[in-house]
Amino acid sequence: MSQGVLPDQFADLEAFVADWSLAEERARNQKRLSSSMEELRTFYDAIFPRMEAILEYLRQFPLDTMPEEVRRLILLTLSLAEIAPAVEFFGQPGVIDGFESTRFVPGHEPRFSSVAGRRKHHGTWQQ
Amino acid sequence: MGIQTNGTNGKSWAQTYPELGTGPVPIEPCISPEYHTLERERIFKQVWLNVGRVEEIPKAGDYLVKNIAAGEASVLIVRGQDGTIRAFHNMCSHRGNKVVWDGDGTCRGVFACKFHGWSYNTEGRLIFVPDEDQFFDLDKTAHGLTPVAVDTWEGFIFINLAPQPKETLTEYLGELGEQLRGFPFGRYTTRKTYQTEAKVSWKVAADAFQEGYHVAFIHARSLPSYGPKENPLVHLPWVKLYRNHRRFSVDGNPKPKPTPIQTLVHKLGRSFDTMLSASTDDLPPYLNPGKVPNWSFDINVIFPNFFVDVLDGMYFTYHFWPLAVDRTLWEFRQYFPPATTVEQRFGQEYSKCLFRDALLEDLSTLEETQQALATRAKTHFLLQDNEVCIRHGHKVVEEYVGFYSGGGA
Repeated sequence: MSQGVLPDQFADLEAFVADWSLAEERARNQKRLSSSMEELRTFYDAIFPRMEAILEYLRQFPLDTMPEEVRRLILLTLSLAEIAPAVEFFGQPGVIDGFESTRFVPGHEPRFSSVAGRRKHHGTWQQ
Repeated sequence: MGIQTNGTNGKSWAQTYPELGTGPVPIEPCISPEYHTLERERIFKQVWLNVGRVEEIPKAGDYLVKNIAAGEASVLIVRGQDGTIRAFHNMCSHRGNKVVWDGDGTCRGVFACKFHGWSYNTEGRLIFVPDEDQFFDLDKTAHGLTPVAVDTWEGFIFINLAPQPKETLTEYLGELGEQLRGFPFGRYTTRKTYQTEAKVSWKVAADAFQEGYHVAFIHARSLPSYGPKENPLVHLPWVKLYRNHRRFSVDGNPKPKPTPIQTLVHKLGRSFDTMLSASTDDLPPYLNPGKVPNWSFDINVIFPNFFVDVLDGMYFTYHFWPLAVDRTLWEFRQYFPPATTVEQRFGQEYSKCLFRDALLEDLSTLEETQQALATRAKTHFLLQDNEVCIRHGHKVVEEYVGFYSGGGA
């Protein structure tokens, strides 16, 4: 079992873990909004070419139980999902002339956990 | 200049629904506190209101609390030990405290008031009063929680705050309720939700989601290849107006231009942006009722404040809860089939973020509009033929309120 921050074959992305392996949508959105476009593009350019390989690799893991380094990798992909509209559409971190996203309060977010177990009202209702 | 044909029947929407007229629509109902007081009394305290889905309270003892400002009520919705869903006013019979303070949870068959321990079971019966002997001829059987009418349609829980609702939920939903039956709401159990409180009339907010005219402007960046080339300003290809409710379709782009991320996400299954593109699949009867070419999705507006938008592969809902004449609690919920793989969850996360960003564009105009309306520099909205759903919405509200006629439904 790998003891690395990320699975060995994705060690090249480890530099992004501290900033982008964030468990909550709010934290990922905040990170997007507090980053420069250069920072967003650097992360996008590093992870996007690896996505096919990452998704292929992740196929072997069940949804809710996985080693910690795999969980960090998944959270990196969710940050890519978060920043994609900024990079591909807006050309700036936030929505242009948009309603403030901090006032737009998310709830009921699926959680990725490296241990079994779930809390009521998080994730899917039914298994 | 004549109004062009819209839809498929060779007429404009104004010709299809001549009773709505074509004149300007007054702004006053969106800024008048008197009008809003009447809306509370004559709409929100009278009609069926959606408060959630059965999957939110799957087990005996699971409950929800909905504080409905426009109905001046706090409502406790609970699944009883017998599996039946019941609703009650969330108010203790003793001295009126709210019995349940949190928004949702599970009780072990009993709700105990924090104030003096009066306890009710999940059927609303008063089962225990501490120091009962000190009361005077207290008949516990007569002092249960006050029931609220509740019923379900396709897994959606509706309540009605009227002591004696004028019609059943089935009657209230009418033809729309029949036509949407069969959509697999119960299978799309992964939900992603947001809420926000905006300084805007609930009607101004709802109106922003009842036309496609705004798409080319407000969503020029987030949805750049929206709609077919022949319909750049998103004329509505199909509209059905009922007594209170309405249903309409929008068409999508048969040749969308996906971004790199979208191309990746498309390999994982249907995503929000593919669902907004034209669907070429054979569709079940509850989708695309007008058999619109390049169909994308249907918007179902259940009066007064509940939208159920159905796509081929997901659905989403909006609730516009008035807090005051110029304040609205807006709830947004996206429902997907449960992801079975991690990569599907990545795809859903992209769909969610793109949709959220598009909604941040939608919401951007609301507070600015409300501020401008309040100046009374203008007295009327000017609506075009493809804003017919907004025209219908204001007309139905006025039929209930009777502000201009002095009557009301």
